[in-house]
Amino acid sequence: MDPSSLFDRPPTPRAIGAVNWRGLWTLYSKEVRRFVSVFTQTLLAPMVTTLLFLAIFTLALGGAGRVVEGVDFVRFLAPGLIMMSLMQNAFANTSSSIVMAKVQGNIVDLLMPPLSATELNLGIAGGGITRGLMVGVATGLAMWAFVPLGLHAPLAVIYFALNGAIMLAFLGVAAGIWADRFDHIAAVTNFVIVPLSFLSGTFYSISRLPPEWQVVAQFNPFFYLIDGLRYGFIGRSDGLLGVGVVVVLAVNVGLWLLTQRMFATGYRLKP
Amino acid sequence: MTPVARRPPARPAADPPRPRRFGWINWRGLWTLYWRDAFRYLRYGVESIGGPAVSSLLFLAVFSLALDGRGEMVPGVTLVQFIAPGIVVFSLTHSAFESAAVPIIYDKLEGMIGDVIGAPLTPLEITAGYLLSATGNGLVTGTVILALMAVFVELPLHAPLIVLGFAVAASALFALVGIVVGLWSERWDNYSAADTFLIMPLGLLSGAFFTLEGVPEGARWLFDLNPVFHAVQGFRYGFIGVAEAPVAVSAAVLVGLDLVLAALAWRLFALGYKIKP
Repeated sequence: MDPSSLFDRPPTPRAIGAVNWRGLWTLYSKEVRRFVSVFTQTLLAPMVTTLLFLAIFTLALGGAGRVVEGVDFVRFLAPGLIMMSLMQNAFANTSSSIVMAKVQGNIVDLLMPPLSATELNLGIAGGGITRGLMVGVATGLAMWAFVPLGLHAPLAVIYFALNGAIMLAFLGVAAGIWADRFDHIAAVTNFVIVPLSFLSGTFYSISRLPPEWQVVAQFNPFFYLIDGLRYGFIGRSDGLLGVGVVVVLAVNVGLWLLTQRMFATGYRLKP
Repeated sequence: MTPVARRPPARPAADPPRPRRFGWINWRGLWTLYWRDAFRYLRYGVESIGGPAVSSLLFLAVFSLALDGRGEMVPGVTLVQFIAPGIVVFSLTHSAFESAAVPIIYDKLEGMIGDVIGAPLTPLEITAGYLLSATGNGLVTGTVILALMAVFVELPLHAPLIVLGFAVAASALFALVGIVVGLWSERWDNYSAADTFLIMPLGLLSGAFFTLEGVPEGARWLFDLNPVFHAVQGFRYGFIGVAEAPVAVSAAVLVGLDLVLAALAWRLFALGYKIKP
């Protein structure tokens, strides 16, 4: 074939179907490579910190066969710690990615390409979900070596781990879009995410709390995530499992709609 | 008509400008370097003070909620009285470390370290400037946390001077560690590795949150090697009058390490380790 015949027709723009799969994949893999290339900070560090937490809480509280609600203290604690590190890392990935892009100005590289609001949202959130789950699996495996965790209901483990990662990834997207500087994100992390994850029943059973605070805890979606994951491992939960399944799904749909709206309207993204 | 060269009117003879003279110590330069990093820290108070304050209170809340079945760690001392000083030392050391290492790395990466090296400051003054600002910042964080805890916990005060001495020695020690780590780090990655694998383990496994009774007999000697352990013991002794290590030994360990690390930091600045081409 004569090579010059290639140039007979003018180049046509790439036809994009209903979904720009290539763009979505590119964005997603960029988000994943972003944290994998600094894996000591993003995967190893949370794992080590979580194991240290396990060590100090076991040393401080777990002595002499302490039990919480009929369960060994370490078995009670471990699923909560796994969920905490999963949540904090899913949040950190999406929020820092968006704020960094905004501060450095390369956010236009996301807004200019032919990516719809849905594709942007899912690509960025996908990176956070992946990091959250990877950290969760890594900490889970590391804990398996020290704690007789068991696996009561694998489907519950998958469901709650996935929904936890999704919830915090979307929260991170929302916070990242809202924030203008890094200290805004630090404030959200310090004053919202960390307190909610600490006070959601990782370290104690909710039944320990005074009755009015028990009611408050029921409105905390993180409580259902931790409780559900704990049920999946050790088969015991504080709240009603069915309620947890519905609540986390509803919260995730709500957050998805919110972030979707933010990308579609260009809230704090477009001038 | 020939043009007449016009001379500028004669000025009264003035002394030519002379370089500023320094005495033994460039006080103004030292103060400037100190205040720059102290100001950076205060300016981001939400992150640098608010963050540790919230997480310290959370630690306190979580421990008292999780432990309400078991009252006393040490006879006569309630659990919260036992862990509150430990949490203060943990946050104080971390804050001192962070506020020494972060400015140095930031200046290196942004190329501003030249402004420090190029200024008429001797290596000793540079070391002192970074050391004093980070030590002060750590002490501010510790004081704020202690004040917040005093709202919730009834803390006895056995020996105020010992409290103050150990707070200063511990803060200075981790400020010096921060300087060394800051000089050594080439990327944020290095800093975060030092934080995760050195500072956090030292701080969390320091006996701040638990007594050595729970630790297996054979592993206790490891705690004696941890400077944060000694800082916690001495600081706590100042409040409750009980410690798991002799206070004099703890004080000697901290002061000795302070001196060694100060000498190291000073030599590193003098050599320009990783900061001069």
